[in-house]
Amino acid sequence: MSRIPRIVYLDNAATSFPKPRAVLDEMMDTYSRLGVSPGRGSYDLAAECEKYVYEVRRRVNDFFRGDRPERVVFFHNSTDALNTAILGLASPGSHVVSSRLEHNSVLRPLHHLRDRGLISFDLVPFDGRGFIDPDDVARAIKPATSFVVLNHVSNVLGTIQPVSDVGRMCAEREVPFILDVSQSAGVVPIDMRTMQVSAVAFTGHKSLMGPTGIGGLVLRDGVDPKPLRFGGTGFESWSPVHPENYPYRLEAGTLNVLGIIGLNAGLRYVTQRGLGAIHEHEMSLLHALRDRLTSLDAVLLYCAENLHNHVALLTCNIRDLDPDDFSAILDGDFNVATRSGLHCAPLVHEDLGTSPRGSVRFSFGPLNSLDDASAAANAVAAIAGLRSQ
Amino acid sequence: MPTGEQVKARGYFTRTLEGRDVLFDDEGFLVNPEDWTEELAEALARSSGIAELTELHWRVLRFMRNYYVQNGRAPLNREIRTETGESIMEIERVFPGGIRGGARRLAGLPNPKSC
Repeated sequence: MSRIPRIVYLDNAATSFPKPRAVLDEMMDTYSRLGVSPGRGSYDLAAECEKYVYEVRRRVNDFFRGDRPERVVFFHNSTDALNTAILGLASPGSHVVSSRLEHNSVLRPLHHLRDRGLISFDLVPFDGRGFIDPDDVARAIKPATSFVVLNHVSNVLGTIQPVSDVGRMCAEREVPFILDVSQSAGVVPIDMRTMQVSAVAFTGHKSLMGPTGIGGLVLRDGVDPKPLRFGGTGFESWSPVHPENYPYRLEAGTLNVLGIIGLNAGLRYVTQRGLGAIHEHEMSLLHALRDRLTSLDAVLLYCAENLHNHVALLTCNIRDLDPDDFSAILDGDFNVATRSGLHCAPLVHEDLGTSPRGSVRFSFGPLNSLDDASAAANAVAAIAGLRSQ
Repeated sequence: MPTGEQVKARGYFTRTLEGRDVLFDDEGFLVNPEDWTEELAEALARSSGIAELTELHWRVLRFMRNYYVQNGRAPLNREIRTETGESIMEIERVFPGGIRGGARRLAGLPNPKSC
């Protein structure tokens, strides 16, 4: 098998890679000692594993400033969590407000419900800089609106949305507000109480630096999605009815204990390093890349003129070069890994005018260096330079 | 040489190439990769603006084709570079439509349908 060269990995918005050594070591060590079925059975180790899982719920709850650890519910990832929230909170006749910035993890559940005649929805637009207007959200809310669901940070543009204003408007109208924090958790502080967010859907494998396969919902008191799955919970096995109490109400089957350990380790990693410090580091890399690319005539940058309220991802194209080929050249000739295409957010590309082929996204993580940004910039400059000859 | 196109469902269409009807998808990729022949590649190349396939074109097309037949998938970027001895950038340049819409399509590989 041929040796894989060291790559400059700039696809952290898809999943952070590599994971910190401390996260991987903690996963191996803790799972080796504690990896049994949490809360199932009467032996001590099962009880210890359940206690450990509860401690992680507490850590997640503290991280997002939720109401109580029991209302941290584990799922596979954000998509899984968003499906539960959207399908569980919608009812026949519901109206939903969302935006054209959303990922398919929101758009497809909404379309699924609308195509079956169950709900209607409105999607608010974003402006030329990549931001929604909270007033548009307020205007879209109707008496029948069951909830508002938005992403905190666009996975295509990297723009941090004004969700505190949206949260205030939703609270004034007593409409639950679901926030998709896939791209923000671990790099932007999230306080559900001050931001007046009813539920956050998170994933562990992006900026929270954990493994794939673990994510969840944090639900404020009074926000109660209908369960979509039923099964074993480790107690009340005599009952044919799935329990109503949290977190079991929405969790069925044995939990991903290895993923929960990794999530815990990732949370510790980002908390110890500091979200502000991580964001500042990543943004310094983004600025370096953006500034170099801005000087290249053949490069088209999207919503990157002002990087205030941004996370460290950049979307661009080279004139007359297919984004898939652009990304393939970066990979094959320069060992720079990026993500091309529509990024599972087709409406963003429709509005950018980049449909159907999309663009190339560069996204930094805490383990990237200035050398990585320079390598990417040099690669793009070489490609752009050759094409303009 | 290509003759008139017959449009079918899902954007698929047939073209008569080298004396037989061949089914393509909406982006001009073969729907049935086994329909590929070197004569078909030459016909597709002519219709995409390549008057005559060069040694480099053939090196790329034969490598991609053989790799696909043997492995059931397209080669990795670094495998293309290593095995053809040419940069991805140069391959993109010499095929109208680039790697995906040019080389891959002319080699008769399936449409990657990236998202």
